[in-house]
Amino acid sequence: MTNAIEIKNLNKYYQDFQLKDVSFKVPKGSIVGFIGENGAGKTTTIKAMLNLVNRDGGTIEMLGMDTLKDEKKIKESVGVVMDGCNFHDNLKTGDISKMLASIYKTWNTQLFQNYLKKFRLPENKIIKEFSRGMKMKLQIAVALSHEPELLILDEATSGLDPIVREEILDVFMEFIQDEEHSILISSHITSDLDKIADYIVFIHQGEILLDQEKETLLSKMGILKCGEEDFRKLEGDEYIRYRKNQFSYEVLVKDKTAIRKKYLEAVVDGVTIEEMMLFYVRGEK
Amino acid sequence: MKGLILKDLLNLKSTFKMLGVMMLFFAVVFLPQGNGFIFGMIILMFAMMVVTTISYDDLAKWDAYALTMPVTRKEMVLSKYLVMAFLNTLGAVLSLIVGIVGSVIMRQSFDLEILAIIGSVYLVAFIFGSVIIPLIYKFGTEKARLMLFLCALLPTALILLVEQFNVPLPTTGNPWIYLFLLIAFSIVGVVLSYLISLKIYTKKEF
Repeated sequence: MTNAIEIKNLNKYYQDFQLKDVSFKVPKGSIVGFIGENGAGKTTTIKAMLNLVNRDGGTIEMLGMDTLKDEKKIKESVGVVMDGCNFHDNLKTGDISKMLASIYKTWNTQLFQNYLKKFRLPENKIIKEFSRGMKMKLQIAVALSHEPELLILDEATSGLDPIVREEILDVFMEFIQDEEHSILISSHITSDLDKIADYIVFIHQGEILLDQEKETLLSKMGILKCGEEDFRKLEGDEYIRYRKNQFSYEVLVKDKTAIRKKYLEAVVDGVTIEEMMLFYVRGEK
Repeated sequence: MKGLILKDLLNLKSTFKMLGVMMLFFAVVFLPQGNGFIFGMIILMFAMMVVTTISYDDLAKWDAYALTMPVTRKEMVLSKYLVMAFLNTLGAVLSLIVGIVGSVIMRQSFDLEILAIIGSVYLVAFIFGSVIIPLIYKFGTEKARLMLFLCALLPTALILLVEQFNVPLPTTGNPWIYLFLLIAFSIVGVVLSYLISLKIYTKKEF
């Protein structure tokens, strides 16, 4: 088993939206950033993986098991954080620990306590009084405390300040250190993914547009800034998308070294995930 | 599943305290008047709490999250019915205690009538739960509350109508028959209700 998650041809139809043949993998020991704008299908894909919605076709394997057949077994070893806090307002952290100890076979009370201390979460306050950052940290502590092999995070860092986000990203990096653990993280805060992701999967209008290793992607792609005349000289397979400004063209090119070699005076900059996303969604072909 | 039940009881902790105070208040006010309605009231107050647990779950968007854990949909539904049974029983036991303590304080002998009231309201509480849980799963807590209100109106209207027109009710000398009918009706109701809820919940998308 080399993949923690393997999705093949996932289809899901809604009246006004559909997932079309979504396929991608999360290799073991890696962090996969799942990006796309709001409503692109990230959450629907994740919900289909967890059987929260029925799918209309396709297969999903997690930890080498089929998610329809071995649902319970899989969920024992998966930690999920969704957008927001899902614990009841009047509970305290001790209550949560008690409750989850009888839900997860592998619940580790000591580990949970350690995370609470690490994240500086109070034990005597009810959840209602937690700040948004504290609630998110609590969800993450819970997701990690039954010693999962796989983390699935849906917008887990959105709405958090940069300091808390970095703290959490460090925890994620630590989590995958042993090469056995894996993370699928959906986010539209792409700078987080610039930091930690090994692979980028990009979904747009229910279809996977891009599925690549982050390093290759960022080292190859570039943004060419040029006038209309130069843009006309480009061949169709050299660029992916372009955006026209008032005076110039910005072009997302597939291979910035090749472009630099070919057009010696051209200005080609590196690209971030955010810029790439903008080109794909708002640029023209 | 134990965890799910524990979660509901932990959530109700503060409600329990409030109910305790209310119970004491009602007991002091109504018991000296020899009013039997307090016993039914206590049980129904507890029976209503299963609805409270579901609205707490809704508020926290708990169900979708719980289903990412090793918990099946069947366990989710079954745990609600077990919580209902627990709450109803707790209510019945407490009103029994109030009844016994009351009669000791009032220096009366414990009336069999009280036992009959508690027993029948206990069963009615199960029927109540069996109606409202599937309604909630299908329509959500807010709408279901309204529907339940209508559901309660219907039999009441029927009974009033029957009284108005003096329709002769089938009478039997043996009150046990009514008891058995009520018990059978509650059991069938709960089982049927569970199966319906499970069917609705299995198809539900989050």
